Amino acid sequence: MTAHSLLPGPLSGPRLHARSRAVLLTLAALCGTALAAVWAAGLLDAYLDPDRRVRVVALAPLLAAAVIGTGLHSPSAELDATAVRPWWPRRLAHLLAPTALAALLLPLAVLGHPETFGAPAVVRNLLGCTGLVAASAVLLGARLSWLPATGYVFAAVLSTSGARGHWARLATWPVQAQAGSATWAVALTVFAVGAALYARHGARAGTLPD
Amino acid sequence: MPIRTTALRVKHRRTLVLDSLDLDLGTGVHGLLGPNGAGKTSLIRVLATVAEPDGGRVEILGHDVGDHRGRTEIRRRLGYLPQEFGYYPGFTVREFVAYVAWLKEVPADAVPAAVERAVVRVGLADRIDAKVRTLSGGMVRRVGIAQALVNEPGVLLLDEPTAGLDPEQRVEFRELLRELGTTATVVVSTHLVEDVAAACTEVTLLDEGRVAHRGTPASLTALGAASDGPGDHPIERGYTAALRAHRATVREGALR
Repeated sequence: MTAHSLLPGPLSGPRLHARSRAVLLTLAALCGTALAAVWAAGLLDAYLDPDRRVRVVALAPLLAAAVIGTGLHSPSAELDATAVRPWWPRRLAHLLAPTALAALLLPLAVLGHPETFGAPAVVRNLLGCTGLVAASAVLLGARLSWLPATGYVFAAVLSTSGARGHWARLATWPVQAQAGSATWAVALTVFAVGAALYARHGARAGTLPD
Repeated sequence: MPIRTTALRVKHRRTLVLDSLDLDLGTGVHGLLGPNGAGKTSLIRVLATVAEPDGGRVEILGHDVGDHRGRTEIRRRLGYLPQEFGYYPGFTVREFVAYVAWLKEVPADAVPAAVERAVVRVGLADRIDAKVRTLSGGMVRRVGIAQALVNEPGVLLLDEPTAGLDPEQRVEFRELLRELGTTATVVVSTHLVEDVAAACTEVTLLDEGRVAHRGTPASLTALGAASDGPGDHPIERGYTAALRAHRATVREGALR
């Protein structure tokens, strides 16, 4: 890290970098997502049956991951590509920081019942969805990165009743209760692969005009 | 030689857009001319280290672009204005140019002065704290040129730099180009032959990924003076004459 990156003030590099990626907007949108999740979970009367929270557990992390994914967009990818600074640390920080914030906020919507659809399941789904979104940003561009994850999670929600057997449960990890480590292994693998791909390649440029 | 390409090949999808290109570009202003699809932007993007060549060798400022460390050193001394560059929303001119200086690892204490110098050079000193999104198209183009100058580049690559500039701004820009060309290797891709005639020390005409003509603007003008082909000015006639002569040679070669 050079002296310039440590400079405070409006022209400091990290501050300009955060502004170039609209990081504050992403963080605000994540706070809004968490509030919406708390509100939605409150409507479910989950104290009667905690399993009713499955949709919040599946959809709130999806929404948060979509916010994180679209925030990976760079308005000037062509100029970014000529930077002297290596991109992977900044890309990784750009992905991990909002994911960490969402992992702190979203569980507040589903407190209690950690063995079924509680905080651990939300964090697992957040990691899995963020991995899908990060990989999609590399392949499709940040603006469309939410699309494959949305299709996948909705397919999992719709096929919950038909998911029988070990592999089917693994494939529908976003709607499985927090029991056993297999669905965690899937979500963590997807997150690791997505994050590594994004850190290495960055979001694909030029998917949509600015 | 600041820029040297040897047997450079570049493909776009399955189409060969640069075909065994050998170029040596020294200090000065080099105009890249050619019809749409000739390979000008592909060449600039490879020289800017944004796109990778599919074959051949590219050396810039003594470093091989294929080598990771070499590429980093090249980028430190490279200025690049893409044909289209998006700017970061909410940034002022000063912030935008300072951000690029940071990306280029310009030393911290030199950044404020470097930013002001670059912005003054493109004639935007009075708009330095204006939001980029509030500027006209021509002014945004000049902001793009300013960011390309902020690290005092040894190699400056400008893709259609005068697009959107009014005639007075273009005249001023040509003056800036001539000044920059005394110390740096400046490559300007353009469709405007009058810009080449006024500001360039050398001209390279590309057609279908190959060099159709190399020489000085005066040599292209002389070619036009001896030609009765289309064009309102001798250098425009020289442009079309050189292109047609090259195409005829390529056709003859294909028939043999």
